[in-house]
Amino acid sequence: MKKQFRKILFLLFICIVLAAIVLIGSIYSQYISQRIYEDSTRSLDEIYSQVNRSFGAFVERNWGLLESWEEARVLEEEAQDLRAFVDQEQAYWGFSDFYFLSGKGESLSIGGVKAALDLGTALDTLAGQREPVMAGTVLSSGEEVTLFAVPVSPRTVQGFSYDAIAVAYTNTALASSLNVEAFSGKARCFVIHNDGRVLLSTQAGGNVFDNYLMYLRAVSDLGEEELAALAQDWAAGRQGLVRCGIGGVSYVILYQNVGYQDYIMLSAVPQSAISAGFLSVQKSTTNVLLAIFLLVGAVIVVMLLLRSNQLYRRNRMELQYQERLFDVLSNSVDDIFITLNAADQQVDYISPNMERLLGIPVEEARKDIRVMEKCTVNEDVVIPRGVLESIPLNGSRHWEYEYMHQHTGERRWYRMTVYHMSIQEMRKYVIVLSDRTMEQQMNQQLQQALNDAQSANTAKSNFLSNMSHDIRTPMNAIVGFSVLLEKNADQPDKVREYTRKITASSQHLLSLINDVLDMSKIESGKTSLNVDRFSLPEMLEELSIIVLPQARAKQQDFSIHVQGAPPEHIMGDKLRLNQILLNLLSNAVKYTPEGGKIEFSVCPIPGAGQQYSRLRFTVKDNGIGMSEDFQAAVFDPFSREINSVTNKIQGTGLGMAITKNLVDLMGGIIQVESAPGQGSTFTVELSFLLPEQEENVSWYRSKITRMLVADDEEDICLSIRELMRDSGVDVACVPDGAAAVDMAVTAWQRGEGFHVILLDWKMPRMDGVEAARRIRARIGEQVPILVLTSYDWSDIEEEARQAGIDAFMPKPFFVSTFWETIRPLFPEEQVSRQPAAPAKLAGVLAGRRFLAAEDNELNAEILTEMLEMEGASCQVAVNGQQVLEQFRSAEPGTYDMILMDVQMPVMNGYEATRAIRACGHPQATTIPIVAMTANAFAEDVRNALDAGMDGHLSKPINMDAVRELVGKLLGSGSAGGDRENT
Amino acid sequence: MKRLYLYLCLFLAAALLLTGCGGPDSSDGVTLTILGKESDLGKPYLTRLFQLYQDTTGNHLQLISYKDADFETQAARDVAEGRAPDILLHFHNADLNRYQVDADFCYLEEQAWVSDLTDSARAYCTDSSGHLLGLPFWESSVSGCYYNKTLLSQLGLKAAGTQAEFDTLCQVLSEIGYTPICWPADGCTWMPQFALDPVFADDPDLLDRLNRGEIGYGDIPAVADMVQWVKTAKENGWFGNSYGSTGWSNIAPLLSSGQAVMAFIWDTWFYTDFTADGPYTMDDFALMPVFMGTAEEGTYEGGNLNMMMVCKSGSHVQEALDFLAFCATPENYNAAFDGISTVSCFRGQTTNIQSPMVTDAYSSVAAHERVSTAASKIIGYNAEDVMAALNAMLRGETDVAGCVKQLDDYRLEEIALQGTVAGPAG
Repeated sequence: MKKQFRKILFLLFICIVLAAIVLIGSIYSQYISQRIYEDSTRSLDEIYSQVNRSFGAFVERNWGLLESWEEARVLEEEAQDLRAFVDQEQAYWGFSDFYFLSGKGESLSIGGVKAALDLGTALDTLAGQREPVMAGTVLSSGEEVTLFAVPVSPRTVQGFSYDAIAVAYTNTALASSLNVEAFSGKARCFVIHNDGRVLLSTQAGGNVFDNYLMYLRAVSDLGEEELAALAQDWAAGRQGLVRCGIGGVSYVILYQNVGYQDYIMLSAVPQSAISAGFLSVQKSTTNVLLAIFLLVGAVIVVMLLLRSNQLYRRNRMELQYQERLFDVLSNSVDDIFITLNAADQQVDYISPNMERLLGIPVEEARKDIRVMEKCTVNEDVVIPRGVLESIPLNGSRHWEYEYMHQHTGERRWYRMTVYHMSIQEMRKYVIVLSDRTMEQQMNQQLQQALNDAQSANTAKSNFLSNMSHDIRTPMNAIVGFSVLLEKNADQPDKVREYTRKITASSQHLLSLINDVLDMSKIESGKTSLNVDRFSLPEMLEELSIIVLPQARAKQQDFSIHVQGAPPEHIMGDKLRLNQILLNLLSNAVKYTPEGGKIEFSVCPIPGAGQQYSRLRFTVKDNGIGMSEDFQAAVFDPFSREINSVTNKIQGTGLGMAITKNLVDLMGGIIQVESAPGQGSTFTVELSFLLPEQEENVSWYRSKITRMLVADDEEDICLSIRELMRDSGVDVACVPDGAAAVDMAVTAWQRGEGFHVILLDWKMPRMDGVEAARRIRARIGEQVPILVLTSYDWSDIEEEARQAGIDAFMPKPFFVSTFWETIRPLFPEEQVSRQPAAPAKLAGVLAGRRFLAAEDNELNAEILTEMLEMEGASCQVAVNGQQVLEQFRSAEPGTYDMILMDVQMPVMNGYEATRAIRACGHPQATTIPIVAMTANAFAEDVRNALDAGMDGHLSKPINMDAVRELVGKLLGSGSAGGDRENT
Repeated sequence: MKRLYLYLCLFLAAALLLTGCGGPDSSDGVTLTILGKESDLGKPYLTRLFQLYQDTTGNHLQLISYKDADFETQAARDVAEGRAPDILLHFHNADLNRYQVDADFCYLEEQAWVSDLTDSARAYCTDSSGHLLGLPFWESSVSGCYYNKTLLSQLGLKAAGTQAEFDTLCQVLSEIGYTPICWPADGCTWMPQFALDPVFADDPDLLDRLNRGEIGYGDIPAVADMVQWVKTAKENGWFGNSYGSTGWSNIAPLLSSGQAVMAFIWDTWFYTDFTADGPYTMDDFALMPVFMGTAEEGTYEGGNLNMMMVCKSGSHVQEALDFLAFCATPENYNAAFDGISTVSCFRGQTTNIQSPMVTDAYSSVAAHERVSTAASKIIGYNAEDVMAALNAMLRGETDVAGCVKQLDDYRLEEIALQGTVAGPAG
């Protein structure tokens, strides 16, 4: 309202200003008009006064001319002379004719033509009053002339008596002398008698006016009084001015007495001609004012337009900025904003993020907002009909919807709130879709976390229950047998039996603890790999040595297969790989019933790159298998399928979890295929870096070119042939022992005997030992014969050697193992062989002097007893500080080795080691220091070595490991032989 | 009115003819044969004259007539083929090239009555060699610019003496709201010929060259001057707002009312057609020359006189000459023209009614009168064609040059058309 009032005030102000401008302009115009009119009138008066004076002078001159002739007696000359004189004067003065006039109005022209001239009353003046006259007349030719006559002395010429003479001018000629070029040539000038009769007129084309007073009376708008006044003026010889309209044109009529007779000089000028100057000035002024006004107006308009445009642009920019800002904001959030026109529910605005969030193009939604219903998961009606109208002004309603993205299928939860509001007096529905997806997902995650926590809690409860069971079981045995041992200490057989069972239970308990610690270590991310070069065949042999007895104990068929040509040496953490495979194999043995079958195979698979080898290890059994549900959780910690079989099997439930984590740690994958009662197949795929150089085994090239292999398994034969191809050895294969005998003998007889014969132990028809015996019987001792077996050959070794077998090879067949095995059989190669002498380790501890740091008194006692049982002596210190002081104070050679516990009060083992190495004792840097600690992980070993120790032994003490390590560090001899080397 | 007058004349002529056909009385004088147009021989003053002659002399007059359209051809053939009448009543000296004038007709300039002829009348009857070929005996009028002198006087104006003054007068009248010239757009086709009369009357050679086809209107600047003046007058409003809607019947009301001041017409029109319904009567009008751009001092068109020619091969040549003398006797022509409105052919003519307008302008008429030349002597001249061409220009359909060309085209078309005209009926 206020704005409108201001607008009205502004318009009123503009109107007042315009009116003032027009009023001022009008007053100014009138003022100028009046001034210019007065000036023009004054000018008109002056102009025609001048004309009048000129005309008067002209009259006077003509009269004077004629009078001078009279005075000069020119008229008395002879007619011919007179005519010549007149002609001369006529040529000079320009009159049209010369007349002798009689008092009766008769005339005789200088040319001798007599005529009557109607001079009117002028004749009386001329003849009667003897005064000069000016009179108009019409010649017989019709031509109108004006005579200027003067009385002269009566004379006679050519028989014509005259008493006056005159010169005549044509009115046309006279009129031209009166014509005034001023006023655009529109002014008419007349010489009239005082009664209005026209003598002369400057009217273009000739005079058509007879009586100007009558003319004015007939055609002008002058009233009778004005005409009478005008006539009186003329009659009185007054000069004056009158304005009148003639034929719709305004005229200014100016009159003044000529001064002779009754003649009046009259001029009639159109007012427009007088005002022409004014009009021109007025027009120019008006034009200038108009131009200024227009210019100012234009400037104001332009300024207003610019200002308006500026405001418009600013508003537009601000609007665009706000829109852009809002778009950006709405794009950066997951809330959707919609505005509907309340009247027709047409969309006014939709935030551009709708397409991103719901997959609905904005333009499509603009056409019909209900297209959103396509996205609702439950096909909900987004805005039920009639609901919007039910929302009161400034009220709101809200709904919850779950939307699914049209293209990606992503689900989102929205809380849709509709506000009914008035924006700039227009009713709008503002719809805000608040994204509640995060909140919903958080709720779901919390629920999942709750479920997981409950599951974990259940698992841990189960674990604790299992652990309680699993720990209590061996502990029960240990405690129980310890009680029995105490009671039966005097019965050596029972003591040994109880001790063996206590040891077994202790070992089981130890493995249980190791698994738990391993799992803990892995889960805390502290596990690291100790990568080193190792022999794959050796590792397989070690596995076979461990697993085979377990399998045999359950009458299970355990076999190891090598497929393809895996590298024999690889870089990796042998210990962890062993742990993985042993875990799988142990489980296979555990969960396969007696008489079952367990197959362990190794094969290279492609995809590892040039410097790597990817190996697939497969453990397949035909055991109890696993349900599908358990397969999904088999690698989860603390999980173990519960059934009648598994309940009888001890385990922590951590083995597969540890295995899975180790495989992950090594960058590999582990998979399982199983079905209840159908057995299980675990597959592990790992990549190993290949060592830079393989051992040179080319010594055989000139000695072995042909080789006979006998095995009833064709795959093994073909595998050996494939493996030996690169060695340049031609491999002949036969399926049994008899065929081997035949081929070996036949070849020998042809002089193409085999350089090596490799026989499987157990073959149909004829086993390897028998076949070897027969071959030896036929061809002698010249050819090395080896037996290839996956079984423990210790039981048949004696018989086999007697049958002529030179050596045994474990399955699977490896080329390097093969060459290593047969190399001693060639005399020239025996020098380089370094066979191991494990038997010497038996007395390696005898006479050794150990300084042990052990804060646990019981452990110290056990250690001391065990070392003394081996013939060694041990002095114990209770912490690192003490062991340091004892070593520093001891004479050089007092101790052969320091066994250092790590976790000790006062000074731990690492600090003590560093102190010893730095104490300046002569043996400070050379005395072997071995960690003996319950910290049994690889990093513990590394930490020990980093601290300056030479080896690591984990608790509980394994005397075999002690002997091996001491043998390694101090030599395998007794204390007297090795002392110098330490 | 004019048509009624024409029917009356025809009726009287027929009655006279029937009387004449009664055959001459061989015992009472000779019988003279008079050959003329049907419409001419019935004129009342002729009837009076013929009767007076027969009554006075005892001779008989045998009137022979042809239809107007066939007359010229048929009469020329009769004369050429020896069937010449004693007296041939011919339309003044126009179209005499059909005859061998010197062989066929008697020269009359030596007759005693010649001095009694007015100059104007004599001019109509004289050939290019100056021989008087016939006795003018006809009613006549003066065509010129008749103006409302009373009105002009009231307006303080006066008549024009020159073309420039006339134009000025028109302009002044126009400025003060009068229609200077009454110019009917249709039905009044005579006006242009007034302008052309001085062009060809003053220069007979020009006329001959035009008729011989040596030149056209385009070669005659005065024709363009006339056309230009008409165009200027129309553009300046001198024809007033009545142009285009006025016709013959509107001239009188326009003049009588004073709305129009001037008209190009003839004096007898005031006696036959002017009805003073307005404030102005015939007495309020005066005569001045027609100014249409072709003559600075203006022009009048003289009366269209018939003359009586004596055929040399006629049966009674002397009696025929005597008949002319009888006609030229003041008592006889005054008796014949008694009460007839006409311009005098004879100086002693007193009984006719001569308009004061002509009388007052006698000297001017005498000075500036031209024989009707354009309409009567330009071969192919058709007044309606001329007015049609001018009106086309005034409607803006063409310019001055185009109008002149159109005039020429119409003239040539008319010439071509005249070549197919059939001869007079028997």
